[in-house]
Amino acid sequence: MPRRKLSEYISKKIVHDALDLPYIGWGIDTTADSLKAIAGFSRYVVKVDQAVKGRFKRGLVVLDVPKMDIAAIVKKYVSEGFEHFIVEPYVSHDSVAERYISISHGRTGLNLSLSKHGGVDIETNPESIVTVAINEATDWDALAQQTLFTVEQLYALVESYKQNHFTFLEINPYIQTDNGILLLDLAIEVDDAGQSFVSSWQNSDIREPKKTTYSQETAVRLLDKGSVASFNLSVINPNGSIFLLLSGGGASVVIADEIYNKGFGKGLANYGEYSGNPQAHEAQKYTSEVLELLLASPAPRKVLFIGGAVANFTDIATTFSGVIAAIDANAKQLAAQHVKIYVRRGGPRQELGLKNIRATLEQYGILGGVYDPLTTIVEALGSALEGLSK
Amino acid sequence: MIQIDELRAEKDMKIISLGSHSGIIQSMLDYDFLIGKQQPSIMAIVASGRKQERYFWGQSEVIIPVVSGLEKLTQQQQRACTGFINVQSARRVLSSSKQAFELLPNLKVGSIFAEQTPEFHTLEILKLAKQRNILIVGPSSVGILLPGRFKLGAIGGTQHAQISAANIISPGNCAVVSTSGGIVNELIHTVTSAGLGLSFGLALGGDRFPLTSPADALLLAEADPQTKRIVYFGELGGVDEYEIAKLIEQKKLTKELIVYIAGTVAELFETPPQFGHAKAFAATHDESASAKKDILREAGATVCETFADVASTLALYKNEMREVVSDTIGERHKSLIVSHISGDRHGETSLLGSDLLTTIERQSMASLVLSMLLGVQIDSQRAINFTDYVLRMLVDHGPYVSGAINTIVAARAGKDLVSSLAAGMLTIGPRFGGAINDAADNWLAGVQEEIAARTFTENFAKKGVAIPGIGHKKYRVDLPDPRVQALLQFAGNTNGDRYLMFARSVEHVTTAKKDILILNVDGAIAAIMLDILESELGYGQEQLKELVDIEFFNALFVLSRSIGFTAHYLDQRRHDEGLLRLSPETVRYIE
Repeated sequence: MPRRKLSEYISKKIVHDALDLPYIGWGIDTTADSLKAIAGFSRYVVKVDQAVKGRFKRGLVVLDVPKMDIAAIVKKYVSEGFEHFIVEPYVSHDSVAERYISISHGRTGLNLSLSKHGGVDIETNPESIVTVAINEATDWDALAQQTLFTVEQLYALVESYKQNHFTFLEINPYIQTDNGILLLDLAIEVDDAGQSFVSSWQNSDIREPKKTTYSQETAVRLLDKGSVASFNLSVINPNGSIFLLLSGGGASVVIADEIYNKGFGKGLANYGEYSGNPQAHEAQKYTSEVLELLLASPAPRKVLFIGGAVANFTDIATTFSGVIAAIDANAKQLAAQHVKIYVRRGGPRQELGLKNIRATLEQYGILGGVYDPLTTIVEALGSALEGLSK
Repeated sequence: MIQIDELRAEKDMKIISLGSHSGIIQSMLDYDFLIGKQQPSIMAIVASGRKQERYFWGQSEVIIPVVSGLEKLTQQQQRACTGFINVQSARRVLSSSKQAFELLPNLKVGSIFAEQTPEFHTLEILKLAKQRNILIVGPSSVGILLPGRFKLGAIGGTQHAQISAANIISPGNCAVVSTSGGIVNELIHTVTSAGLGLSFGLALGGDRFPLTSPADALLLAEADPQTKRIVYFGELGGVDEYEIAKLIEQKKLTKELIVYIAGTVAELFETPPQFGHAKAFAATHDESASAKKDILREAGATVCETFADVASTLALYKNEMREVVSDTIGERHKSLIVSHISGDRHGETSLLGSDLLTTIERQSMASLVLSMLLGVQIDSQRAINFTDYVLRMLVDHGPYVSGAINTIVAARAGKDLVSSLAAGMLTIGPRFGGAINDAADNWLAGVQEEIAARTFTENFAKKGVAIPGIGHKKYRVDLPDPRVQALLQFAGNTNGDRYLMFARSVEHVTTAKKDILILNVDGAIAAIMLDILESELGYGQEQLKELVDIEFFNALFVLSRSIGFTAHYLDQRRHDEGLLRLSPETVRYIE
């Protein structure tokens, strides 16, 4: 149930629909075709629609644009690596009239926050924000007066929040115009576990902030998408000396922490983990990506730590057969670069898995150490870090 | 919330598994066995497609019943259930847990395994759980372990060797609470390796709103008289640790707290990634691992900088070492077949629970037949007498019927006993000999669904099919079938003969239309057998339906008539008339 950001275009469609307000806007991608539908107004606003915080201040919003300029603006953003945009008719307004409303929830229920001083500087005016709990005691009439929304609209907003598995909804700002309320900027975070229960949004509507990506990260993301097991990989330092091939959500963080806490953070090349009993060929693919990063690093001494706690379900012999296949394929280079590989793992069929991987590492002369759960994660990791400073 | 000590007082937790996960269930049964329980703690599995699942019980095996829904359990079973483990997929977590709350009035403990349960679903379950006095962990939890009592989930290990090695059979005084399922085992191992024991272990799950929050869990440990100190594993993300710090400051949490908060590595990232668990994302500095470590340290907890510190802190208490009880389970293999009927026990053949000779010497053939067909020793004389009578009545009905003809044809073609008997047997089916089962199916459905005899009859008329158990070629209202009359001596059962009554009310409707549409032998046997099974042997409608599905009622005909067919075979062999061939006049050739 990680919380993810929804595209503003889809968010606006959902919220306008819920509030029974008309919405005019266009979701734009990198194809020229998607611009064709834009029509009917003389001036527009163009925004990057990609989960970027502080868009306005970072120059990712252009106001008051004639239609003929839109293509060039989009093209410029595309050249900067962005892929999703939203175009809407431009409405000039006085920033003093900007208001703020948001909904969030905690263990005990929903909270509604509002302010009469919305806009890009809301974070610098936190004292203007009033937060009320949504429950039986909520004074809806008072809220309606303070927000300019009708009681029905507030109900609908809360209902839409719950029905669509939102985890955060922020309209900032919105303004009152002669033609009614206008929602200028809107951000929604969703609970991605709710996806199969809603029809209003889907996984393709989820936006990730742009960041430098490595081909190995992309490959692992694809691997994760196509598998019932889960995989993730983040490159921290491509020139690092400590490479990790970890399993388990908790253990992987503990291992990465240990390295950081012991002052080896600078050398840490990657974080990532696999879990959910992957098949051998999937483990092989994942290992290959990590090895590719490892072999590309110019660090003079390099170690790979293959580790995890005692697995509950992941079959160690099976996953390790995939890991071994990837090592086999890269054995020559690993040996040439004097890489040492350390292993610490437990779980179903650990004896066989550990025996096989030890034999492989020995065969290629890249054995650092192989440990079962009788050696703690920390001890095993300690010997890997020692191996690095030798 | 229910306290740990109350759960500990419940010596015989009865658990239902919502969904089936053989790895988890087996590990729970292995734990039951290792702590010396006489019976598995899992009383039933809710899943579709099967009637039972087989698991190891030590080196032997046990059968755990499977039902398609909780509503299929008897009220007695529903009341007996005190715990559940939910291994359904995230999509079904809410609906299945809700049903468990509704139908299981005496629940004390529960655990939810699925990852990716929507937050709002979890919060709805939380609301319901709070109204009941239940300890429930998850979602994405590997469960709860109460040493010497029960293991609810994968916690502590899924392999029996792992469980044995973990030293978790006898309890100790250290509680382990963890948001991570993998780490909870690691911590339990750390505790027991230090020579200390576990008072209880809780895997809370790495979701944003765990049903039992870290603060809830620590308060449980505080209130537990067996717990002296607590090892807690938390992660970056969320603000649970602030609540814990507050509890310490308010002196609501006074026991020694040894803490590890994972996720300091996030500081290395420009934009930290979403770590493995859903909650593990620090949106603000307050949610970072270091901030949470600081606040807990200030409050007075022992905050470990490295995982190794957990072990070295626990090593300080070596003088509290306990006696370690351990047991192991040897090599084992799943059998290919299970049998309730007979088997080899210590080199001797046993039948229906006793050795062969004892079993056969104490009963008649009819008693043995009924017991073997039902798979349990039957002692009801009334049921045995009826079986005996039916077996005698169905033994033969002349050489004219199709099955007998085929036996005779095969015998005269020079085939051996088994082939000729098989020729007759293979003829038994929907039009010959198979009506008892179909009749039983219909009488059962009629009574169960309280269908009016008229509607029941019309339904068959609409489909244009005959009613099994109704109708005869020769006998009619004013010329009743003497065999049916004879069978009626077995009426007068304690259930008010409700199946027979239903059959007769159907007969009442059909004979008004046509006088040969009377209740026939098949229909009468089916109805009376249902009445006797219900009255004498206490069979419920589900069990009766199962007997229909496995063709128990047809078995009576097959067994009895095999004697008739065998007799016809022997008879024909004695006559030795040679090949039977139809003459041209018996077959009309139409061009």
